[in-house]
Amino acid sequence: MCVLVPAEVCSALHLMFKPHKLLLIFFPQDSNEEEMCAVEEEAGFCEIEGAADNATLVQSKHHEAHFYDFHIVYSSSFRVPVLYFRAYCSDGRPLLLNDIEKDLPACSSKVLLETKWSFITLEEHPFLNRPWYKLHPCGTSEWMKLLCLGDEVAAKNGLAIELYLVSWFSVVGQVVGLKTPLEMVKSQRN
Amino acid sequence: MAQEEKSRSGRGSSSSTILQFVPFNSLADEGFWHRLSSLKLNKYGIDDSPIPITGFYAPCSHSQVSNHLTLLAESLPIGENDQSSMPAFSRGNRNRCPVPGTLYNTNTLETFHALDKKSLLKEEANKIWEDIRTGRAVEDSAVLSRFLLISFADLKNWSFHYWFAFPALVLDPPATLVESKRASEWFTPEEVKSVSVACNGWRNSSLTADVPFFLISIASNSHATIRHLKDWEACQADNQKVLFGFYDPCHEKDPGWPLRNFLALISSRWNLKSVHFLCYRESRGFADMELSLVIEALITAPQGLNDRQLVPNAVGWEKNKNKYVSRCINLAKSMDPTRLAESAADLNLKLMRWRALPSLNLDKLSSVKCLLIGAGTLGCQVARMLMAWGVRKITLLDNGRVAMSNPLRQSLYTLDDCLNGGDFKAFAAAKSLKRIFPAVEAKGEVMAIPMPGHPVTNQEEKSVVDDCNRLYDLVDSHDAVFLLTDTRESRWLPTLLCASANKITITAALGFDSFLVMRHGPGPFSSAHAKTSSADMDNLTLSDKGRKRLGCYFCNDVVAPTDSTANRTLDQQCTVTRPGLAPIASSLAVELFVSILHHPDGMFAEGDITNSTSSSGSSEPPLGILPHQIRGSLFQFSQMTLVGHSSNSCTACCDTVVSEYREKGIEFLLQAINHPTYLEDLTGLTELKKSANSFNLDWDDEKDDYDDDDDCVEI
Repeated sequence: MCVLVPAEVCSALHLMFKPHKLLLIFFPQDSNEEEMCAVEEEAGFCEIEGAADNATLVQSKHHEAHFYDFHIVYSSSFRVPVLYFRAYCSDGRPLLLNDIEKDLPACSSKVLLETKWSFITLEEHPFLNRPWYKLHPCGTSEWMKLLCLGDEVAAKNGLAIELYLVSWFSVVGQVVGLKTPLEMVKSQRN
Repeated sequence: MAQEEKSRSGRGSSSSTILQFVPFNSLADEGFWHRLSSLKLNKYGIDDSPIPITGFYAPCSHSQVSNHLTLLAESLPIGENDQSSMPAFSRGNRNRCPVPGTLYNTNTLETFHALDKKSLLKEEANKIWEDIRTGRAVEDSAVLSRFLLISFADLKNWSFHYWFAFPALVLDPPATLVESKRASEWFTPEEVKSVSVACNGWRNSSLTADVPFFLISIASNSHATIRHLKDWEACQADNQKVLFGFYDPCHEKDPGWPLRNFLALISSRWNLKSVHFLCYRESRGFADMELSLVIEALITAPQGLNDRQLVPNAVGWEKNKNKYVSRCINLAKSMDPTRLAESAADLNLKLMRWRALPSLNLDKLSSVKCLLIGAGTLGCQVARMLMAWGVRKITLLDNGRVAMSNPLRQSLYTLDDCLNGGDFKAFAAAKSLKRIFPAVEAKGEVMAIPMPGHPVTNQEEKSVVDDCNRLYDLVDSHDAVFLLTDTRESRWLPTLLCASANKITITAALGFDSFLVMRHGPGPFSSAHAKTSSADMDNLTLSDKGRKRLGCYFCNDVVAPTDSTANRTLDQQCTVTRPGLAPIASSLAVELFVSILHHPDGMFAEGDITNSTSSSGSSEPPLGILPHQIRGSLFQFSQMTLVGHSSNSCTACCDTVVSEYREKGIEFLLQAINHPTYLEDLTGLTELKKSANSFNLDWDDEKDDYDDDDDCVEI
């Protein structure tokens, strides 16, 4: 997972999210191959010496997997963190929203339909200048307020960045099937 | 050494198997192709000399999925300098071990297929061999995984043909596998702990995190340390167990491809026969000794490996679904600007649906076919508004050419359209719509509308008949028709055709500072309104349930004289209007149209007036009321909604006229066109006018009926 935030938040996050690659893999039921162009087999190439040798393991059927990248970016206009993500196949081909929606947990599509808080849009990534999907942030500050409503400490002193982010992530993560372990919240509160 | 003893115990050469390696998998990220496209367009042009690139990989981090050799946007040189030595990426990223590679990007598909793959592979393999020979591979071990990529970027349709090769020096005879075990089983429990700690340390330090080949030296007290390859001699000095470690991208029970050249390095550089490898794999950012393998292998001193003149053979072209063919990926959806514009437009509407209007029917909007009769001030604005609502199928009909005064008020035209006598408006408008939003299906029809009371000569008759038929086909092939011309007569034929076919019809008409925007009611022959006996002309048309159908633009002609002052300005040919009027009227026309589409009764809906409670009795429609007529005035900055029902004597939509048209077709039309009083005679309007003038009593009765229908509410 890559987190892009203003500098002062960086150090806080470094403690929270170990900088390892978050690999989210979904194995789709049917592997579809629509987008690959028809490829003509090169005549006679297999006979050319050097195509393979005994030491090359012949792989069995290759499982098609979908790969997801997640970025957390701070939105200065909405002043909240925003979850950006993209999905692609093992050959780099990007997945479209209707493919992604099939990967998301069943309850998540329900969440997407029912709540006013979550909406997936395709927008230009602010740093990478490529189209990425994001969970639209316009409801975030409202539901974060609701979430922290019951917390007296928060009401008085405001929420520490680390705790804010964990709480925020515990909600948005659900939409994309990522569960926040309870330990993470507990460790932040101490 | 302990290793050699282990290797000889219990295994004869007859039972030894060839050590096999799992081929590397490539993953070229979409960002890589995007950047290559832009470099090709802006920098390289037709230059197809090889480009130095960088691939990235990391140790396997999942027990079911292997890691790839990944190419990203940062894999390509920055681009400003020709000899850019500064990389586009930063070092020390544990998830991105940089590996050098070469890209051959050709200019045509033929050249791509004609590349001499055998010699290209050999050339890259030679580089690896040189690095091994000179010792550079010991200093910068990532060069052992040097790779090759050939590609052809078809920038017209955003297709990319490509083929990766991961050159592996072939050992002849090949290395044999003595034993392969999980690391957690091969090491002692203390060693497992220590090795894990050492590996995690190596992975966490930005100095070593992206160094993919290393040594693990284990002391007699089970303490493990990780060292750079160049410390090999130092490790020999102490009495330690030494394993060769590398980041293994593969998750399977066989080792990954990087081991091949590592073997070549080890055998040629240090001339070892028996070696132990740690195929290092991770899980959740930490060393995973269950997933990692320790492999013991035997290398027979191959011929010529020490002979500096002889370069070993190489293999390594990537298979594509078990065949040695190139791959192709099409990225139009995420790179083609037209497609991106389309998805951005959809996004806007979807946001509206999500936040404000969940019942917004975007499918209906994108599939409805709209015919705009008139491509002037009203036509241009209506077309633009429709596009903004997501309407994608728009036909504009106009006979005229763009005049010099037009661009100011007619928002689809620019000065260029006026030159050389002026382009045909219909064509210019369609072109302009496509320039704004390429995905729109816009068409222009250049033709004149036959008009009643404008007789035609015999020579003209054929073309008039053609025009009638053409107009009939256009109305028939669209779902909604907007009447946006500047004369009353030109609205007649389209109104009749729409009434006969029950198409959604919207009229907008301008005075100097006043406007009318209305939707026509359904025609006399539709399921919701049963046809009454044609003999009974004095009664208004009644439906089964006693509801009257709403009137059309021409039904106004028989409305009580109280409205005639309002009508008079509208009926005149108005080419001079306050500029703000057309956009207002056009916008209202489009909004009215969208409301019709979202009303459960559609064009059969009753006419609402402002502040009325819903006439249908159900919950309030999300887009608000659906009026019949909207009349506004800039003079007062006021606007009102009215309801007018159809008239039995309407020259355009009464059942007499429509049934006559349906029976007699073109003959009827020609009659109406050639004889100015034909329609009025047919509908009895002539009679009605006569009786209105002579009998006050009758007129009053009729007036009462009409009064009920006219509810005017001033806003």
